[in-house]
Amino acid sequence: MNRRYALGEAIWYGVSILVVAVILFPIYWMFMISLKAPEEIFKSPPAWFPSQPQFGNYAALFLDGDVWSLWNSLVIAGLSTVIAMILGTLCAYAIVRFRTGGDNLAIWILSQRMIPPIAVVFPIFLAYAAFGLADSYPGLILLYTAFALPYVIWMMRGYLADVPVELEEAALVDGYSHIEVLWKVTVPMARNGLIATAIFAFLFSWNEFLFALILTRTEVITYPVQISQYFGSQSTFWAKIAAMSALGTLPVFIVVSMLQRYLVRGISLGAVKG
Amino acid sequence: MIRNLLFTAAFLGLAATAPALAQEDAAATAIAAAKQFSGSSITVVAEAGLQALLDTQYSGPEWEQLTGIKVKVVELPNEEIYPKTILEKQAGTGGYDVLLISPALLADMVNNGAAEPLDDFVKKYGADKEFDDVNPAFKDWMSYNGKTYGLVVDGDVLVTYYRKDLFEDPENQKAFKEKYSYDLAAPKTYKEFGDIACFLTEKYQPKIYGAGVINTGYTHFFFSERFRAHGGKFFDQETMKATVNSEAGVKALTEMVEQNKCMSPGIETWGFAENLSALNAGEIAMTISWPPLGRWTQGVNIEDKALSWVPKTVVADKIGYAINPGGHPQLASGFLSGVSPDSKNKEAAYLYAQWMHSKSQSLKNVMRPVGLRDPFRISHYESPEYQNLWGGAKDYLKVLKDGAAAGYADLSVIDTFKYQDSMSRAVNAAIGGEDPQTALNGMAAEWDQITESVGADKQRDAYKVWAAKPTAYRE
Amino acid sequence: MTAASPTYIKTGRPFWAGRRGTGIAFVAPAIFVMLLVGLFPFLWSVAVSFQDLAGAKQSGNWIGLANYKKLIADARVWAALGRTLLLLAVALPLELILGLLLAMHFQIERPLKRLFVALIVLPAVISPMVAGSIWRLMLDHKFGPFNQIIGWITGEPIVLLWVIKPHLAFWAILIAEVWQWTPFMFIILLAALANVDREQLEAAEIDGAGRFRVFFRIVLPAIMPVLGIAVLIRALDLFRIFDAVWQLTRGGPGNKTETISIFMYIRGFQSFETSYTAALVVILLIVLSLAVTLALKRMEIAR
Repeated sequence: MNRRYALGEAIWYGVSILVVAVILFPIYWMFMISLKAPEEIFKSPPAWFPSQPQFGNYAALFLDGDVWSLWNSLVIAGLSTVIAMILGTLCAYAIVRFRTGGDNLAIWILSQRMIPPIAVVFPIFLAYAAFGLADSYPGLILLYTAFALPYVIWMMRGYLADVPVELEEAALVDGYSHIEVLWKVTVPMARNGLIATAIFAFLFSWNEFLFALILTRTEVITYPVQISQYFGSQSTFWAKIAAMSALGTLPVFIVVSMLQRYLVRGISLGAVKG
Repeated sequence: MIRNLLFTAAFLGLAATAPALAQEDAAATAIAAAKQFSGSSITVVAEAGLQALLDTQYSGPEWEQLTGIKVKVVELPNEEIYPKTILEKQAGTGGYDVLLISPALLADMVNNGAAEPLDDFVKKYGADKEFDDVNPAFKDWMSYNGKTYGLVVDGDVLVTYYRKDLFEDPENQKAFKEKYSYDLAAPKTYKEFGDIACFLTEKYQPKIYGAGVINTGYTHFFFSERFRAHGGKFFDQETMKATVNSEAGVKALTEMVEQNKCMSPGIETWGFAENLSALNAGEIAMTISWPPLGRWTQGVNIEDKALSWVPKTVVADKIGYAINPGGHPQLASGFLSGVSPDSKNKEAAYLYAQWMHSKSQSLKNVMRPVGLRDPFRISHYESPEYQNLWGGAKDYLKVLKDGAAAGYADLSVIDTFKYQDSMSRAVNAAIGGEDPQTALNGMAAEWDQITESVGADKQRDAYKVWAAKPTAYRE
Repeated sequence: MTAASPTYIKTGRPFWAGRRGTGIAFVAPAIFVMLLVGLFPFLWSVAVSFQDLAGAKQSGNWIGLANYKKLIADARVWAALGRTLLLLAVALPLELILGLLLAMHFQIERPLKRLFVALIVLPAVISPMVAGSIWRLMLDHKFGPFNQIIGWITGEPIVLLWVIKPHLAFWAILIAEVWQWTPFMFIILLAALANVDREQLEAAEIDGAGRFRVFFRIVLPAIMPVLGIAVLIRALDLFRIFDAVWQLTRGGPGNKTETISIFMYIRGFQSFETSYTAALVVILLIVLSLAVTLALKRMEIAR
């Protein structure tokens, strides 16, 4: 019995490792390319490991100033997340506690998440042009906030609902205003969910491409747009693509590994409590 | 020895007189005038990749040194230059100062209000004094409806490159003549191009393949040339129906796709740089591409480490240059520098363009492989400095000059970009395996749709103007 | 712990529920922002779709339903739509099945499970644009390992031009898409499976029910609500797919991988056919809103 169990366990681990290896292989490849010297990248058939790992490609990004796009991504994704969290939490609280709008509001909010960005981007672009918001921080921040809100509201609904009503009732009886209740009682209790939601909302904005492609020109290019510029019609700068992709993806990995606990709920939109 | 002495003397003589000429020099004028804008910055549009390297590594920093104006470069893939520029106009943000304009699309840009008329600047700073020096083939690129909107900075004409050493090998010549009954030399027709490619591939593969071509990114230029070489016409002038799916079109496209079979494996994915790299590395014996390959394959003026991903040339002094099969190479693309009407720094932007276009500065640019700027001035073709860059330089320059004189101009009507885009996609579909007739039928249908939305009568007027030029069909 | 319903959290009803004033004040800012981005573009698109705006023209003439008629007659639109739906029809089941298999495999509690799960999830959290770029590199016939690996398996070197040949291009997009989003399904199903009532499962096992029966009779119904939302989300994401396709093929070769979003991008931002694109936007938004609302209401009723 023990041996069969041990064998089963070994097989399970074997399969798991195989699955992870296959799934992560492309990501490994990207990192590996970023460490290769440009001449080596163009060897065919491709080498599976850089003969001499080197950081020249990353250095080039810094020297050329391309890393500026990472900063733009940070500012835009960061600010839009903060604003979305504030507005979204307020809204979610009202939906949960005040039953504002009932079912229909909640459904409408969820349906907002379903809007294809391409459908929205053209009129937004023209409107921004008219108001001088194109290629600016405020322009993109407004847009990303709007797109993060449905997600934030949906998630926070679940987390806020988990907070025992009794605590809030007690605080209200003590004379707290609704805002104070939310800020001083509910939010601290839902803090973990809040953080998880904020992180995932940030990730969606951080990774966004289409809006940034159309609404940025030269001033506030985000890192996905920067990467797309490396795909030239003459040739493709794989080294830069790989290095910038690595830089843009690293924060994501770090964050996700820190938030393992919230992975399930964060990705599954709160559809499942886990 | 004597020749060297004479050359040096001539050079010194020229150098001695240079200061006296400096008064007239458009470059010097531009620099002097630009100094008043020192401290400002201009945004220059450049084609992403090798072309942009000129502005980012050389011209930009040099300009900043000379005038104090900072140069920011926006790199765009070739097929996005026009749409992004129009988009920029729509947004009205004035984010671009110096525009990169493809001559075939100049009319559309002007009609969309996206290009600033430059006549006042040209007169003020004397660029027109050097206009006579511009190759007549490229001169009319610069204006539309009587106004100047751009200054030529890149004179493109397709060139056939071939490995002299392989072509002149007596064994190859004998075997080829036996098989095909004509001499092995630079191909005079596109059929010959295919024959030679197959012949050499059969003999030398997999080390060397008979030919390489560009199959991604610029395919419509190559089809456009072959189409006309086979007698094709783009439209029926009476009905303005597209006639690209005529027999000539099918023949040209079928031939184009068929010939891929005798080329390197994976040729369907080759872009400009892959093609260049293959020729440099000695992996192909023949190709049709733009003028920069002449300088790249010779390895002149290449110092930059940033270009380390382009293989070092092993075919220096082995390359022959010829006018394309059919005798009418396409003046494929070419570039003008223009100014955005929304620019907040129009004059400074113009001066940068004038500097890049000027006799003295442009000579430096067109001698470099980096930047992909090609000769467009008579003084370029006749420059002793250029002609002595390498043994074959004189032949190379002659091919460029004669080719431009006999070349086909790009199609230029209203909404040209849409026609070009449709053409590219049809050609790519055929390269990907679609039946050429079907692909061309689809293209013709799309073209008719575009003509309809422009208005057939309006388009006919524009087309008539273009078709009347000798460069349209060379009949 | 049960799966939360999509709309109604059953908590105790607080005594201040129904205080509309404060409630509205709380939701107003968020709703305002969302309306700005959700309603205005829609209204503008409707208005513009009845005109003939194109290029850099600032004002257009009223042309009624002409754009809509043109849309219905446009073969390229239908082709793009068909392609998008085809992609959806192939990718979604694949992601579902693979995700389910993975989730079942990871139901067991073992050391390192957390680590494996976290690693598997990575593709789903990177930018779809980056994912497209990575696969563009992987599938490159010269510099990518994919062809190399296939060559090892088949025993001879092959030249598969993934982004040039139309059939291969479709598979290339499929591969990139399934690679990135199967982990998403996996995560959802992982949690959903974990929430299946243990007692029911054990009872069934004791009764001697076979694996399949247990799955279809007990497990599947239990995870159905969550599955429904996951499928809805993925279906909508697949319908509007853009980033990965743009990176891999730009809709090419020719139009062969042009999805509806790519079509709209090209017509709107390269051909500048403002009004025409707006008409398509209007139709899409109406259809999608209806579909989503119906789907959500249906899931509510099923509860």
